[in-house]
Amino acid sequence: MIRLSGVHKTYRTGQTSLEVLKGVDLEIGDGEFVSIIGRSGSGKTTLLNIIGGLDSDYTGKVEVEGRKLSEMSDRDLSRYRNRHIGFVFQSFHLLGHMTCLENVILPSLFNGGDGGLSEKQAQDRGLELLAQMDLADKAHARPIHLSGGQKQRIAIARALLHKPELLICDEPTGNLDRDSGDAILKLFSQLNERDGITLIIVTHDDIIAEAAARVVRIVEGNVVEDRRSEPNKNVDTSTSQREESA
Amino acid sequence: MSGLTQLIRKDLRHHRRHFILASIGIVVGIAAFAFFLALGSGVRSVVLGEIFPLDKLEVIPRSTDVDLGPLRVGMGKDTLNDEAAKKLGEIEHVTGVYPKMKLTVPSIAAGGKELFGNAMRTEMVADGIDPKLVAEDIDSKYAFAYFDDREATKACKTDADCGETMLYCGDPLPAHAMTADGATAGEDEPAAEVADAPKGKVCRHYVPVIASNHLVEIYNGTIRRAHSLPKLNPNFVLGLKFDLRVGASMVRASKRKKVITERGRLVGFSDRAISLGLTLPLGYVSRYNVLFDDPNAAKTFHSIIVDVDAKDNVAGVAKGVEDAGFDVADSGAEQAAMLIAVFMMVFGFVSIVIVGIAAINIMHVFFMLIYERQREIGIMRAVGASRANIRTIILGEAAVVGALAGVVGVGLSMLAAYGFDLVSAKYIPDFPYKPDTYFEFSPLLLATSVGFAIGFCVLGAVLPARRAAKLDPAVVLTGQ
Repeated sequence: MIRLSGVHKTYRTGQTSLEVLKGVDLEIGDGEFVSIIGRSGSGKTTLLNIIGGLDSDYTGKVEVEGRKLSEMSDRDLSRYRNRHIGFVFQSFHLLGHMTCLENVILPSLFNGGDGGLSEKQAQDRGLELLAQMDLADKAHARPIHLSGGQKQRIAIARALLHKPELLICDEPTGNLDRDSGDAILKLFSQLNERDGITLIIVTHDDIIAEAAARVVRIVEGNVVEDRRSEPNKNVDTSTSQREESA
Repeated sequence: MSGLTQLIRKDLRHHRRHFILASIGIVVGIAAFAFFLALGSGVRSVVLGEIFPLDKLEVIPRSTDVDLGPLRVGMGKDTLNDEAAKKLGEIEHVTGVYPKMKLTVPSIAAGGKELFGNAMRTEMVADGIDPKLVAEDIDSKYAFAYFDDREATKACKTDADCGETMLYCGDPLPAHAMTADGATAGEDEPAAEVADAPKGKVCRHYVPVIASNHLVEIYNGTIRRAHSLPKLNPNFVLGLKFDLRVGASMVRASKRKKVITERGRLVGFSDRAISLGLTLPLGYVSRYNVLFDDPNAAKTFHSIIVDVDAKDNVAGVAKGVEDAGFDVADSGAEQAAMLIAVFMMVFGFVSIVIVGIAAINIMHVFFMLIYERQREIGIMRAVGASRANIRTIILGEAAVVGALAGVVGVGLSMLAAYGFDLVSAKYIPDFPYKPDTYFEFSPLLLATSVGFAIGFCVLGAVLPARRAAKLDPAVVLTGQ
């Protein structure tokens, strides 16, 4: 269970300040598939960073499984990101000097001998995930030789390495062509339904947002809509509004 | 930790060009550091190990001399005794005391025809020392000890009849050398007749003699050139036999009425032997001094060698000696040690400045790399790297760069030292104490050099590592 109450976030640059979240209250239950939708600058990515423990400079309360993120030390927060969360970004964020398999098992390098995967277990799990993503033959290839869709599947495999309870995706189809985007959304649906992973997708696109069972709309830092509906399992991203690649 | 090690290895490989460029300064600095310290250490060990051995002090009676025009007149006793030796032995860090006695009788050494082509004669200056002090310097074929030949009676015709290395077939000791300890062999005092003294030749012991390496160096470096004599190899000179004529002198006024002729044999070289002269076992010098001069000479010493447990304690022992009412003979070692220390400090400082500047260069390179790697660091943070992990990665990379640069720097300095030694061997003429190598690369020096390289690299990377750890992953990954 993720619970946000009265979350405010203000960016300051010199004398000017910009409040991007203005007291957000939100609860996301285990196993939910939630789309957070809003225009550019509405605060949706900021909200995602706060839930993911990437941004701890905010006011208000964010609780994950009863634990306040703001009270966690950097070590605990890092462990939380490492074990309980998977991130998928619009720009994939793969490391170019590593192979696909090395990228997938990157999180295991930060286990810190703390009951995480051993080197062998990580290798096996990485190969298993690559096979699930139909990329077994790319294990030793560099990301530069992959298509956008393949890169995003590598990024998803990396996010799934530690079997996280929560997958946080920031514009995951933003840099993909139609077929790849559709495939990725289908994959998310499967992960949510089959594995019970809680999914939060940030998008500015209403069509893509329909893939989720719950849509939360943010306008100028406020949650203005929070509705549940039957998810559209056959989303056609060709009709969606694409944003320029980052 | 093994995960971070893997990351460090990959990052080093990926950014190797940057790191190679960054490490050039460290390599140069460490090479200079190791080169100069090894040079200083090498020179120090030649100067303080061979020219002025510093783990021993020579204690002399406190000087009470008064200058009277061209003369210096001694006002007090200039000898030491057993009581002084005992007192010195009680000083902390003193591990042994060895009395030393000067031969106060004029004497001549003659021989060396097989070596130089002509027999040579020279006025002999000699010291007597406790044989224990030089035991480790004596060739195993010979012995350096006092042999009392006053009762030698084994008759012989040739040296072969005597059988041993330290025995020769010679005339028995003359009657005037047979007096009991305490008697003198002066002009007006005929020696006692010994009733059963042998008439023919008997087996007698050579008087064992040692010389200093310094003497060989002076001979090879200077004397032989002036007299067109052959260069001596100490190993081949060992065993040299010659005559010792105690009481004789080339200075007419000095010679005594009676002379004792003995055969001497060179049995070793030692840094503890008198620099210019010959060194005999204490027993011989004591006997000659008693026979020719003072009945009490057997109980008085001109100096006492004090063994110190470590070079670092020499200063403390010297202070103890002075507090006990004695002086330390000035061997020049302290000045030499001081000069070498200053030399090492100056060049060590210059080298450290070079390494320090290189560390600033390392810092700039790491700042630049961290700027370039912001996204990479953000990704690592997103997948679970803590700030400490990021710091460890950056500092680990710096440590590896430092270690490699240190090893290369030390290797370069050893190569330069080897080249320097080659040039010296080929183009620099021989001089006293010319060493085979001017450098001493001790394991401690090598470890210190590599340690310095690692230390300075890590130091240079501290601020960049802190900045990297503070990078906000949300900002670098999502631009928020």
